[in-house]
Amino acid sequence: MKSISRRDFIKATAATSAAAAIGVSLIPGMEKSLFAASTEWHKSVCRYCGTGCGVMVGVKNGKVVAVKGDKENPVNYGLLCVKAIYLNRINTAKTRLLHPLVRKNGKLEKASWDEAMELVAKKFKESIEKNGPNSVAYYGSGQALTEETYLANKLFKGCFGTNNVEGNPRLCMASAVGGYLTTFGGDEPQGSYSDIEKSDCFLLIGSNTAEAHPVVFERIAKRKAENPHVKVIIIDPRKTPTDKIADLHLKCIPGYDLDILHAMARLIIKNGHADEDFIKNHVAFSDGKNPIDYEKYKQFLEDFTPESAAKACGVAAKEIEEAAKLFGGAKTAMTMWTMGINQRKRGVWANNLIHNLHLLTGKLGVPGSDSFSLTGQPNACGGVREGGGLCHLLPGHRLVAKAPHREAVAKVWGISPDDINPKPGLHTIAMFDALAKGKVNCLWVCTTNPAQSLPNLNKYLKGMEEQFMVVAEAYHPTATTELADVVLPVSMWCEKEGVYGCTERRSQYLPKVIDAPGETRWDGEALMDLGRRLGYGDKFKYKNTEEIWNEYLTLTKGTDMDLTGAPYSRLKKVRGLQWPCPSTDHPGTEKRFVKGDPLFKGDGRINFYKKPNGKAVVFARPAGGPEEPTDAEFPFALTTGRVLEHWHTGTMTMTVPELNRAVPKAYVEIHPDDAKKLGVANKDMVEIVSRRGSNKMEARVIDRPRKGVLFVPWHWKEALINLVTTDAIDPGSKEPEYKVCAANIKKA
Amino acid sequence: MKKPILPTLIILILLFLYLTLSGFSLQDDKHPEVDFTISCDDCHKEETPEVTKDWLEGKHGTFKVGCYVCHGDGEERFFPKPDCESCITCHSDYEVDWEESKFKSCFDCHQGHTLKFH
Repeated sequence: MKSISRRDFIKATAATSAAAAIGVSLIPGMEKSLFAASTEWHKSVCRYCGTGCGVMVGVKNGKVVAVKGDKENPVNYGLLCVKAIYLNRINTAKTRLLHPLVRKNGKLEKASWDEAMELVAKKFKESIEKNGPNSVAYYGSGQALTEETYLANKLFKGCFGTNNVEGNPRLCMASAVGGYLTTFGGDEPQGSYSDIEKSDCFLLIGSNTAEAHPVVFERIAKRKAENPHVKVIIIDPRKTPTDKIADLHLKCIPGYDLDILHAMARLIIKNGHADEDFIKNHVAFSDGKNPIDYEKYKQFLEDFTPESAAKACGVAAKEIEEAAKLFGGAKTAMTMWTMGINQRKRGVWANNLIHNLHLLTGKLGVPGSDSFSLTGQPNACGGVREGGGLCHLLPGHRLVAKAPHREAVAKVWGISPDDINPKPGLHTIAMFDALAKGKVNCLWVCTTNPAQSLPNLNKYLKGMEEQFMVVAEAYHPTATTELADVVLPVSMWCEKEGVYGCTERRSQYLPKVIDAPGETRWDGEALMDLGRRLGYGDKFKYKNTEEIWNEYLTLTKGTDMDLTGAPYSRLKKVRGLQWPCPSTDHPGTEKRFVKGDPLFKGDGRINFYKKPNGKAVVFARPAGGPEEPTDAEFPFALTTGRVLEHWHTGTMTMTVPELNRAVPKAYVEIHPDDAKKLGVANKDMVEIVSRRGSNKMEARVIDRPRKGVLFVPWHWKEALINLVTTDAIDPGSKEPEYKVCAANIKKA
Repeated sequence: MKKPILPTLIILILLFLYLTLSGFSLQDDKHPEVDFTISCDDCHKEETPEVTKDWLEGKHGTFKVGCYVCHGDGEERFFPKPDCESCITCHSDYEVDWEESKFKSCFDCHQGHTLKFH
């Protein structure tokens, strides 16, 4: 009997196939004929976060049977996190949608592709004719392939004439983009992961790196373990697994860390840790409206003593002093951050203040130093930020508002520049607000789940239900497909080819290694089908995906993100290429703005060539707290986040039993002192309430959040914390402040 | 035609003995019936506190490589004694051709909970 159950296990798990394929002896004389010889391995990229880990995909009999880390990939050197090791299960999950669904008499029913697309085309056509092109919209994803976002952009902005094209990176990375653009003039980090192994100090702010970017965390932990002088500083309202490697943790009140960053800047200058030569040659100063000088900036900082900042943000003054000393005194330093900084009403400003620290200390442009934003999704950088998948952008870091940019894109798209609306479309929150108000009547959703991931959901669910919504999705049901009028079953990871661009400006090719199951079709094909049905067939005469990528590459030529040196033929051989990569013999650019960057000019140490005078900007931005501070009625600051084992809305990770066992259900973390006051015991059911909504879940009484803070991982559909969160947005980036709102908690 | 039962039986017995003695895990033992709505470590920090402590202080605990990675979810898959196959997916840079190796298993040197290295 043992051999039978063993064989069942062998058939069912990835690890066995991986082991067999590398020659592990399972049963002498049998393993190679059964497994090794027939398992093919393909180089690909992980489907989950923005780290961009290389994976090897094992295929046997037309199925993905195994995944292992790609040890040749310089992102992860073979290491994978616990989500990625189960990637082989996501294609065949029980919730996989294999045929189109159309809502009839209130219920989603099985339909043919033709029936579904005919209905979609009819609705979009009617809406455009009756209410104009801005009555339709596209909401995409940092998980879609670059080629898919490119097609959506071309169809909606180029053919329909609406800039109502958005993507979920608006909800996670828009503030980072705003920070990079305002400080340096160009989006995305200057450095690379390879800086980690050369850095002496890591400032992790608003990032639970251990859980949200585990492979990056492993690299930092290894660097520290092998080099005991390396210091790790954390600024976060909550103790997390990342603390295992921390030397110092400033547990601030959510939403008040701007004060800390200003106070650190002040101390860095006073301690003599400023790089005055770097400042003189490469830095300009601004109060956000007008240029100021260095002296005026120093005067501005005088308001931010360690004591005043400590009072504002709830940490000890000596902790701020220690943080400034560690950061300023280190030879090299990397700051990494993610949603804790970006998902804030002052997200752009917080990003600016991080860059300030690096500009003041000259910790940029040298190995081991960078202000390095960690990206949440695998292709937020590549497809949406670079591909122009937001309402104000065009491909290749171009803007709809700039006539030369519209002309360049129109030429490639074969349209008149006048066909592209010069006015930006609706950003994500405005788009769903317009949907709720009936001003947008048709929405195409691709590879994302807004009915779970938008903040303040009570305000937006009705619009998704009432207006015509088509959802291109690999799984059903999801919170969004349940509200859809048409659900299109689409192919996913390993079933289609394309490119992902990760955090470090690295574009990597993902191959199609298996056939798409059932009636599923490629997202790009579905978008082109809509285009053809609405009379734009001549714009979508591609023979294959490679032709779409090649067309996109022509729009990157001569830009700061030049990828013309990265055709499929090359990407298939290498482990990605970092832009700028202007020719096929160029190795890619590990660090921007310095020698080695093909766009770098002159012979100085660094040249911020995206700024008119070559100087990056240190901002004297005001501090200030969140949109919704706590008060007597709502005395807790609610913050949301992630756990290691689940990803976003769980449509993929929650199909894996092992990951569900690891973290089976939603919970709220509450500090033991707060719990005691409220009479809440561990595992009690509690209700979390805000001005917008409420939800019930289990309490986890634990010394992780600081007193007065509640933390909820947002993955579970059954306990939608986004009914409670706020949709207040950063005025610059339009990114919502998921990370802080006022709430209360009581026993349910 | 009459099938040769004895040789088949001998092969099955030898196979059984090999698998039993070779140290590979077998999905035969059932995880005790417990409340499967809770996580592994929620229960094991009370039921097997020393193992949980070892794990937490070891490298796997540091990186939150949970019980389920090696032992299965306990409900659909359960491996009381995991084998090297669980290791290789994550540690592909330590791929080993066992036929060429003087060791039989990763666990000859590495203990999964404490991860003490030689």
